[in-house]
This record gives sequence, C-alpha cells and structure tokens, in this order.
Amino acid sequence: MATLQLQDVRSGYGYGPDILNGVSLEVETGKAYCIIGPNGAGKSTLLKTVAGLLKPRTGQVLFDETPIGGMRPDLVLAAGVCYVPQDRSLFPEMSVRENLVMGAFLETDKTVVAERMDRVFEMFPVLEDRLNQRAGTMSGGEQQMLALGRALMIEPRLLMIDEPSLGLAPQIADQIFDIIRRLAELDMTLLLVEQNVIRGLECTDWAFLLDLGELRIEAPSNEILDDPRIRELYLGRQKETTWQRGTGVGEES
Amino acid sequence: MAAGNRGRRGIVTHLLQVVILGLLLGGVYALMASGLTLMFGVMRIVNLAHGVFIIAACFVAFFLFQGPGWDPFVSIAVTMPLFFLIGVGVYTALFPRIEGSARFTEMTVLLTFALALIAEGLLSYFFTGTVRSTDPSYKTDAILLGDFFIPTAQLLSSITSLVLLIGLWAFLYFTRTGYAVRATMQNRTAAQIVGVNVRRVSTISFGIGMALAGASGSLISFLFPFFPARHWQWIAILLALIVLGGLGSLKGAVVGALLLAVAAGIVSDQFGPTWSPMTFFGALFLILLIRPQGLFGHQARVG
Repeated sequence: MATLQLQDVRSGYGYGPDILNGVSLEVETGKAYCIIGPNGAGKSTLLKTVAGLLKPRTGQVLFDETPIGGMRPDLVLAAGVCYVPQDRSLFPEMSVRENLVMGAFLETDKTVVAERMDRVFEMFPVLEDRLNQRAGTMSGGEQQMLALGRALMIEPRLLMIDEPSLGLAPQIADQIFDIIRRLAELDMTLLLVEQNVIRGLECTDWAFLLDLGELRIEAPSNEILDDPRIRELYLGRQKETTWQRGTGVGEES
Repeated sequence: MAAGNRGRRGIVTHLLQVVILGLLLGGVYALMASGLTLMFGVMRIVNLAHGVFIIAACFVAFFLFQGPGWDPFVSIAVTMPLFFLIGVGVYTALFPRIEGSARFTEMTVLLTFALALIAEGLLSYFFTGTVRSTDPSYKTDAILLGDFFIPTAQLLSSITSLVLLIGLWAFLYFTRTGYAVRATMQNRTAAQIVGVNVRRVSTISFGIGMALAGASGSLISFLFPFFPARHWQWIAILLALIVLGGLGSLKGAVVGALLLAVAAGIVSDQFGPTWSPMTFFGALFLILLIRPQGLFGHQARVG
C-alpha cells in the first residue's frame, strides 16, 4: 500500500526556476527508500516539498491518499511525516532534553513523551549521558543523533532524512548508518537522501535516481548497486567525490 | 539630579545615588526594550514604530487619568490587552505580505518607518503636539532611605517593570507557547519541522511585544512629558539599548537597559543633562566598532 505519492510535482525556491520538473513516485509502507543523484538533482527539494517547507507549483503530494501538498509544515507533521534536514536544525541554546521535548511538541500527553524519550535513549545512549548539555556545543555526530532522536519523539509514520552523513568522519557516519539500518529493520517507512551512495543503498530496499529534477530510474537498491552501467554513470562519479571528501580537511568528528 | 547636595555628601554616597536613580529608570527602559528585541528575535522585524505605540499608550493612560480618573498603574490593565490586540491586528494586516521576501528585515524597517510616520501624524492630528503628562498624586513624592533619595513614582514603575519582565520570562520558560516562541527565536526552520505553527507564534510574539509597549506607555505617561513626535527620541534610545545587548536577546535588552540608564545618569550628573542622550549614541558607536553582535548576541545569521 502506498504511503506517499507524488504526482507530477514541480517545485522550486522563491521566484527561481523549477528544481523538480514533474516528479511522480510512490513510497510503500514499511519500506526504506534512498534518493540518489548528482548535486542539484532536486533531492533535498523533494523532501522539503513533502515536508511542507516548499509549496508544489503544480502536481499533488498525497499521504495515505490525502493531499498534503502545500499544507503548513506543522500539519504535515501532524499527519505523520517528519523531516530531518541536512543542517540538523537543532535548537542550539536548548539542552538535549529540551530538544527532545520539542520533538514531541505536538504530543501533549506527558507520560507518552517520557516513554518515547526512554526509547530514544535505548537507541542513542549517548543522548542520555548528555541530557543537560546545550545542543549547540555537541559534536557533529552527536548533533545528528540528536536530530534523529528528536524526529523519533513524534513517532512519525514516514521519516525523511536529508544527508545524515554530511560532514561526519567515516567511523561516525558508520554509526549513523547502523542506526538507519536498525530503523529500516523496525519497518519504519524511510526516505533517505544520501551523497554517500553506496552506504545509502546498502541500508535501503528501493532507490530513486533523480537527475536535473526528473526521476530517471527506480529499482531495488541492490540491483542498482550491482548494475555496471549505473555504477559507471552515477556511482563511479559519486565514489570518487566521496573519496575526495574523505581525504579533505576540516572534517568534524 | 541631586547635584545641589553634593557638598554635604561623600562622593561615594553621591555616586550611589546616581546609580540608584539610573537603575530605577533602567527597569522601565528594559520593559520597553524587551518588547522590541522580542520582535526582532522571533520574526527578524526591526519595529521602528515601537516608540510611537508607546506614545499612543501614553495618550490612552492620559485620557483614562483625565476622564474616569484611573491611576496610570491601573491603566496598564487596559493598555496591555489593548495594545496586544492592536499588535495582532497590525501583524496580521502587514507582515504576512512580505513574509517570503529575501530582504525581509530591510523591508520591515521601511514598513515600520512608514507606520511610525502615519501613527505620529494621526496622534498629532487628533491630540495636537502639546506636551502632556499624567499627574498622579505620588508623582513628586520620594522615600528617604538613609542617605538616599528614592522617587516613589520611579520606584513603583521599576517594580512594575520587574514584575512584568518576570512574567514574560515565566511565559517563555514554563509554558508550551513560550517554548514554541524560544524555539522559533533559535531556529525558525527547526521550529516548523517539530510542528510549531510559526505564523501563530509570530502573531502572538508581536502582540506580546506591543503589550509591553502598552504597559511602558502607562508608566512613561507620568515619568516623562510626552507629545507625538517624542517617539523618535525613544526609538533611538531603545535601538541603542538592544544593539548593545545583542539584537534578539532578552537578557541583553535588560542588561543593556540597566547599563545605559546608569551610564546616562552618570554622564548627566558629571557633564549636565544635555549630554545624557549622547550616552546612548556614544555607546552605540562603541559597541558597533568593538563587538557588533552586542553583549549577548550571536554572529549575524542569515535569514
């Protein structure tokens, strides 16, 4: 059964050109999806459009058959779609606990919030240790864990994660991918955007390949991983940039 | 200020007296500045009309005093809710139209400048430019505390400001809406993605900022003589206070207000009252040169 459907969606920023040029796709309940593609392909734009941060210019976004395209972000979240942006978007002056509490802003039952927080601590023990630390002072990896933990506080039915490994040292990124794999195994519907294509495909069931705002290919993730033509066309280039990034300076740990 | 008594008092006592008077005024400055900085912090609005709404509230307090004879402190019960509603109305009517603008903050400067001109014009048209002031019985009273002279009106105003500021703090830190306001101040996108309706939070915050302007107007109505064009002087001082504290920082607004009120008092005492307003602009120049983000501000953020 389809959870999320995009029908011929065009979207972009302000008065700028279309970044998504009529994308149609379907996401099924309980599966994990990875959106791959070169820079500027429209991957983040797609997530922002679903999250309600951008209004689709044409086309429709359906969640459980209900149109959510152009709805306010808080209403999209209330419908069950949660978005973890590239920059993590934490509340830097608030403590870890306050950030998690804010994650459950729409949940008014305090006992439910406490239960969920315990579940988040099971998955991210480091957050329990840092409960009173200000989010802005944590390392990149810890901030990403807090961003994921905060998203789980609302128990979304669809979790969209934008570039979770961005700016993280390889071993820290590995930890994040382990967590994403565990979420996928828990049958949470996941929509992941990842520059580190190989790792992204490894922890998902199905992949969408976007290029210049259009959906080029969709296939099971492992088929894309094994397809020599796609490897050469898209993954090869990605692999190279990943490697270059890996040796770059100024990485956070 | 008490310059005539100088010979009889020790220099320390005299200086402390100046500091006390400065702090008492500073409390009211803090109340005015906190509303202004809240608007910038939550919505990135620079509200140049803040001063004119304070003056408008002075008129409300003035006519409530003249007509039904309400004490200016009692009139806060009218000015606060009234200006909250005016704030909600003004925000809803004007700001959503420019919300998506790439230069939102710059647009708000122009928009609120126009609003200030229009409001000043209306006030002048209806109430003339006469200098007014409410005259409650305690206006010239003072308490003598040891060697110190404490004007009753300023003491009461300062206590009232403190109570209102504590109320604001409690709202921000202990209520659900308060959390939403602080979240929006720290990261607007993040607030949206955890389910905060930022339009609603912005409207409420603008209303609260205006309610604080309303309360300040009741107090200013007897502390300082007022007339419509007086608001330019107030907004200039208020901008200096919140830039010193760090734009958008409530703590900064309070500390900036107390610091500069005391500094202005000392300058006035040493060099004469004509130099007192210069303190604010001198401090503004200095802070922009040395620490442009202000005492408690952050480095400029985009958006």
